[in-house]
Amino acid sequence: MGIRQFVMIGALLGCAPVSAQVSDGLLKQDAQNWLTYSGSYNGNRHSGLKQITTANVHQLQAKWVYHMTGLKNLEATPIVANGVMYISQYNRIDAIDARSGNVVWQFQRQPIATGAQRGTGFWNNKLYVTTSDKHLLALDARNGSVLWNVAVADGLQLAGEAPLIVKGKVIVSGNQPHGFIQAYDAETGKYLWSWSPIPAPDDPALASWGGQTPEGMPIWVSGSYDPELNLIYYGTGQPEPQWAGETRKGDDLYSDSIVALDADNGKLKWWFQNTPHDTHDYDSLEMPVLVDGAWKGKQRKLLLQANRNGFYYILDRTNGEFLQATQFVAKVDWTTGIDARGHAAVDPSHDPSVQGTTTCPSTAGATNWPSPSYDSALHLFYFVAQEGCGINLRDSARNYAGTGYLESPAEGQGWQLYTRALDAFTGKKVWDYEQVTSHHYGPGVMSTAGGIVFSAEEFGQFTALDAKTGKALWHFNTGDVITASPISYSVEGKQYVAIISSSNVFSFGLPDHGATL
Amino acid sequence: MRRHLVLAALTLISSASWAQTNSLAQDGAAIEQGRVLYNSNCTGCHGANGAAGEIGPGLAIPGRSYGRNSVAQIFDAIKLGIPATVMPAHQGKLSDEQIWKITAYVKGLRGTAIDAPLPGDVAHGQKVFWGGGGCGSCHMIQGRGSIIGPDLSNLAGTRKTTSIIDALTKTMHRVYGPGGAGPHTLAPLPVYPVVRLTTFSGKTFRGLLRNEDSFSIQMIGLDEQLHLLNRAAIKTIVYEPTSLMPSDYNKRLSPEEYTDLLAFLTRQDTMPASDQASVIMPGKDPD
Repeated sequence: MGIRQFVMIGALLGCAPVSAQVSDGLLKQDAQNWLTYSGSYNGNRHSGLKQITTANVHQLQAKWVYHMTGLKNLEATPIVANGVMYISQYNRIDAIDARSGNVVWQFQRQPIATGAQRGTGFWNNKLYVTTSDKHLLALDARNGSVLWNVAVADGLQLAGEAPLIVKGKVIVSGNQPHGFIQAYDAETGKYLWSWSPIPAPDDPALASWGGQTPEGMPIWVSGSYDPELNLIYYGTGQPEPQWAGETRKGDDLYSDSIVALDADNGKLKWWFQNTPHDTHDYDSLEMPVLVDGAWKGKQRKLLLQANRNGFYYILDRTNGEFLQATQFVAKVDWTTGIDARGHAAVDPSHDPSVQGTTTCPSTAGATNWPSPSYDSALHLFYFVAQEGCGINLRDSARNYAGTGYLESPAEGQGWQLYTRALDAFTGKKVWDYEQVTSHHYGPGVMSTAGGIVFSAEEFGQFTALDAKTGKALWHFNTGDVITASPISYSVEGKQYVAIISSSNVFSFGLPDHGATL
Repeated sequence: MRRHLVLAALTLISSASWAQTNSLAQDGAAIEQGRVLYNSNCTGCHGANGAAGEIGPGLAIPGRSYGRNSVAQIFDAIKLGIPATVMPAHQGKLSDEQIWKITAYVKGLRGTAIDAPLPGDVAHGQKVFWGGGGCGSCHMIQGRGSIIGPDLSNLAGTRKTTSIIDALTKTMHRVYGPGGAGPHTLAPLPVYPVVRLTTFSGKTFRGLLRNEDSFSIQMIGLDEQLHLLNRAAIKTIVYEPTSLMPSDYNKRLSPEEYTDLLAFLTRQDTMPASDQASVIMPGKDPD
């Protein structure tokens, strides 16, 4: 292995602190990195750093702010490798010194694109750029030079999710003409495999569409990865037509499902559908969180997901076996119940209608794509819960009618967001932190070994909560809308916590004593 | 998911419609008149010859991403001004014909080497680049070479031919950034100053400065690694006055080698027309 090689597999195993084995000499210091969208392959978004604790977090102060030109309301999770932070948009990566906030290089492929983009991936000193014109690029992490540039297979447009890099493969996904996941060789860009939630002609799941041609099922959020099982876990989106289900009678597989694919070849190992025959846009794109622990007294490899449809799911991630589902918001009325196999019975009285049908949760969901986190020491699962209902409409009774939805149904029934902690193995609520004025999902959360949950709020507050109680210990008004999830990293033994607020990256740390950056 | 995939096929002005839109575009005399008009009306804000001025941005800075690219957009900006900026309307002051002449001049200023690559044996020039010229020991093209100097993959798409020749032959050659009075954003240095420093712990580094402030330094070392240094840890720092880039290629290479190297360099462009012709903008992602 040459000096430029970068060993990251070990760093991303399990829920250990992300501490990359850096052998490339990029930084001659003990850097602790954030190398993938969720911080680790298991989707836990839990930092092992513990310099910032419940006892000292009140001293946390902004160390620097970096303004990224181009787009507003960035949704990206930064990557930090060897003291350099990489922030992405479509067609764009900025590399900045993670201690000082000074820009080191910028890469901009024209045009400056619109559209939500949620991060890049790092592998062997390379970064991966998804473009707005159906390309996938690898950049040299040292200076942003293009190392390879390939057209996306089958002429498809990649969605805005951060590429997931596993076993030397860049895993990407997209929405059009229907959902798909693809893999490329991380070193060369060679196309490797593709998977689609559209059932193949010989797949019995095709019968779940009532004779109609399957449509939809977009895939626009990164997944998680279990290196031991060699499975990647992704959520799939809703079937089409979106809010009108009469042309697709049946469960509409593999929509609104969690799928486990073999990382080597993209073959479907198992699937679990959260929402059958969806007419409310309950995508299953919330991060599948991989946890090992005792469920009902038995040690298991679990997959946890707080789903948009209002239920917290616990599955066995080796085979997709349904273990339990727990309602986590006050009102859920789209289903009359979930059976022992995890199959939900849909209540047709809540189908969208011409006069409008109130449904709980709303189409925006009881939670959504912003990232959850899991603290293995406390066995707590943290996420943003959205309490509220919505109204689903269609403009006529005909097939393929125009449809839409309204947010808060009436005055006084507006949505309310909470940062919420559940007992990961029972689904019981442990605490709530009310995000006053936040009424629409946006930012995600991150927990740390310092006993803190960092939680950003829609209108700019960045808050440190006590992981055990949900009590606010520190807050900082970033001054703009936040639609991203926090990270933590360390350079030369100093811990930082970073969040993007609109187009500004803030990095926080404890006060310095003596001359530092 | 609410799907708002916006198919925004970017309409490029083809050469045919360009001619139709601005019949003066190929008219050398009109472009010269445009230059005179530009110098008497525009340079007070924008600076001479397309470089940045006191108030407005440079209109012909290599590598700059222009907000208004098409002839119609440039024409409208001059005639109607740009709302919410200090760019005034010129209708009433200049005739449409005069504005078309200025438009033709500004558009012409923006051409880069790829628009008129120099003649020569490109394949031989490529051999010179990677071989006897030694260019690849500092520069990268399409993922090959070294990262010490600037990546040249899009050299001809961002520089004028004269700028490339200057870089190969003039010691004082510099490439300046957009400047002007537009928003000054934090951008990496457009130049590559050489720094040499030693730390209190006894380490020495030499390489190219990429950024610095009163407390830190960011550089690419000759070891091809990024070095992010705390200024408090630095014992001595020397800013070397001379670029690492040799400036005697017209002498150190044979005339054939030099000509062919220029033919190769003036064809390094990463944006083939097919990439720009039609772009699907990813809409707001489903939520």
